[in-house]
Amino acid sequence: MKKGNKKRVILYVAVIAALLIGIGVYQYYSHQAAKKAAEKAEQNAVTCVEDLVGKKIGVQIGTTGDIYASDYEGDEAGTKIERYNKGTDAVQALKLGKINCVIIDEQPAKAYVEKNSELKILKEEFANEEYAICIDKSNTALKEKINKALAELKEDGTFEQIVNYYIGNEEQQGKNPYKKKDVKRTGTLTMATNAEFPPYEYFDKGTIVGIDADIMQAICDKMGMELKIENMDFDAIITAVKSGKADVGAAGMTVTEDRLKNIDFSDSYTTAKQVIIVKDAKADAKASSFKDSFYDNFIKENRFEYLVKGFGNTLLITVFAILIGVVLGLLIALVRTSHDQNGSVPVLNAICHIYLTVIRGTPVVVQLLIIYYVILTSVQNKIIVAIIAFGLNSAAYVAEVIRSGIMSVDHGQFEAGRSLGLNYQQTMTSIIIPQAFKNILPALGNEFIVLVKETSISGYIGLVDLTKGGDIIRSITYEAYMPLYAVALIYLVTVLILTAGIRYIEKRLRNNER
Amino acid sequence: MEKKEVLIEVKDLYKSFGKHSVLKGISTTISKGEVVAIIGPSGCGKSTFLRSLNLLEEPTKGTVLFEGTDITDESVDINQMREKMGMVFQQFNLFPNMTIRENIMLAPVKRKIMTKEEAVKKADELLERIGLLEKADAYPAQLSGGQKQRIAIIRALAMNPDVMLFDEPTSALDPEMVGEVLEVMKELAAEGMTMVVVTHEMGFAREVANRVIFLNDGMIQEENSPEELFENPQNQRLQEFLSKVL
Repeated sequence: MKKGNKKRVILYVAVIAALLIGIGVYQYYSHQAAKKAAEKAEQNAVTCVEDLVGKKIGVQIGTTGDIYASDYEGDEAGTKIERYNKGTDAVQALKLGKINCVIIDEQPAKAYVEKNSELKILKEEFANEEYAICIDKSNTALKEKINKALAELKEDGTFEQIVNYYIGNEEQQGKNPYKKKDVKRTGTLTMATNAEFPPYEYFDKGTIVGIDADIMQAICDKMGMELKIENMDFDAIITAVKSGKADVGAAGMTVTEDRLKNIDFSDSYTTAKQVIIVKDAKADAKASSFKDSFYDNFIKENRFEYLVKGFGNTLLITVFAILIGVVLGLLIALVRTSHDQNGSVPVLNAICHIYLTVIRGTPVVVQLLIIYYVILTSVQNKIIVAIIAFGLNSAAYVAEVIRSGIMSVDHGQFEAGRSLGLNYQQTMTSIIIPQAFKNILPALGNEFIVLVKETSISGYIGLVDLTKGGDIIRSITYEAYMPLYAVALIYLVTVLILTAGIRYIEKRLRNNER
Repeated sequence: MEKKEVLIEVKDLYKSFGKHSVLKGISTTISKGEVVAIIGPSGCGKSTFLRSLNLLEEPTKGTVLFEGTDITDESVDINQMREKMGMVFQQFNLFPNMTIRENIMLAPVKRKIMTKEEAVKKADELLERIGLLEKADAYPAQLSGGQKQRIAIIRALAMNPDVMLFDEPTSALDPEMVGEVLEVMKELAAEGMTMVVVTHEMGFAREVANRVIFLNDGMIQEENSPEELFENPQNQRLQEFLSKVL
């Protein structure tokens, strides 16, 4: 072993040892903190609706639970509403003692409590409400058709059959599922939903199922249309229906006055209750072993496939976004430098300048949402939307990196090329850009690394990338630890491989010169 | 002396950078086979004048005729003109990411003057001539300054130019390397190459040039054969200049 290598190994071992000690200390203290939190939770226990005052209440953003609970917000007692993107996130926060209770629809609440023995539902319900399907206001024809189909389904018992399959009594549950009818279909009906709301809609073995999904299927069977289900955040559903991304929204959605201002609803198809979930002081959380937890999160029902599929999408988006970024970035950089050098192309330069200002001046997640919901409303393939959004974003940064690379090449190189009779383009492509590329490789590599991780916001448009894949597992198993660490580890390894690749190219280019 | 064919004709050339005027009306002709040395104090506009000859600097006013064509005319393909006007820079400006042979071959192949095979042959011939054939596959960073400048000269020669422009070719060299570069330039002159050389090497100017131009304050103050100019300077500023450098 070489001396340098030995030193490096010792360094690695030291770093790992320090990390392990750090984790140990942290675990000890977090255990102590958890004990204290448990004691505090005892004092803060919510046992009836009146107790809500002054507590921390978790809700899913945009749900009726959110709307009703918000009445408490800002009162003198200091009631706080914590709004989560998903019901499962709120439940996890409750389990960790970050909040005192969760207000959510009865059926999902039942599903959560069934899977988490340390939680219980308070007997006193919070509110009653009715679910309906949302449709764009202009689409009255569709509304009438859906209402007619709903009435027929209630009439012929199909509706009861579906509900019983999911939440009937013990004899009915899981038996006699609704089967897709064999009818002639013309056209597609796109349904927006948020598949983290069992039993109305949730992921089962990679597909979205649930009461809403089955009811919509039955409606489509009546209307002779193909059903397509799009998964997204709950608070994005109404926007999606309004913008035409989806024809209807069915996600255990309650009719409220605020919503009626923006969107129309079908007749209601079921009544539901808002209930309060709290920690059951008596039940002790059972600590699951690493092995069980691993099995539960990844092996059971092939759940690892969510990660595999998500990672595939992450790679796909990254690779093509890099391609767009480099090609477009190079063009912008060339326009900008040729303008700097001889003042030509003032109009193009101004356009590029505005482009850079806007793209670099706004968050990428906002750009992604704008491109999906405002600009490319007719594009249904979310991966293409993500590739375009991240590609356009990356191009702005790559352009400046390339421009700095071109400027870093000595001007004498440019003059030497031109004095030999090469034209501007030949000088750039065969002399300047190859040298610039070598200079900017570290910065370019950095941009690619940022891009890989930036794609983790793809979940905002309901695209199942690696992060979202982990989130889906989390919403099924109610465990944060395993899926999040697995996702983090996969990103880390990807970035390590990417870094090694860039270093290899860098080394090869340097070898040429000395 | 027989009447020679005019290669470059400069008419009333002006150049200013912003408010600062560097060239203030220069007119001269350079004939085929002539070796013209341009001398003068630093900042007098020597380099700007030389770089105006192949339009690396665009004149503010005036014309440059090369082989009868007005190259300041925008409709003229300047790249085609530059193919015939080789240039050598103070800082060599070899392409660091290419081997020596690739440096020499690049322009002839890209400009479609030669096929790849012809360019390889030409490059090796030229390298052989200056005794650097064994460096053909080396990179510029592996060469000494003198070697780099000699390569830069043959890189320009590979295009078979009608005139060679030298912009202080020895100023960036260590003193012991000046000789080898001047040697190559002398050989070129002896072969009848038309050369315009901006230089501080008075010895070279005296020995090799047919004509010496003294530039000061953006104007030609005196031009004459080297014997006359160095032995019997008329202009007062030239006298001062020579007393300092000789």
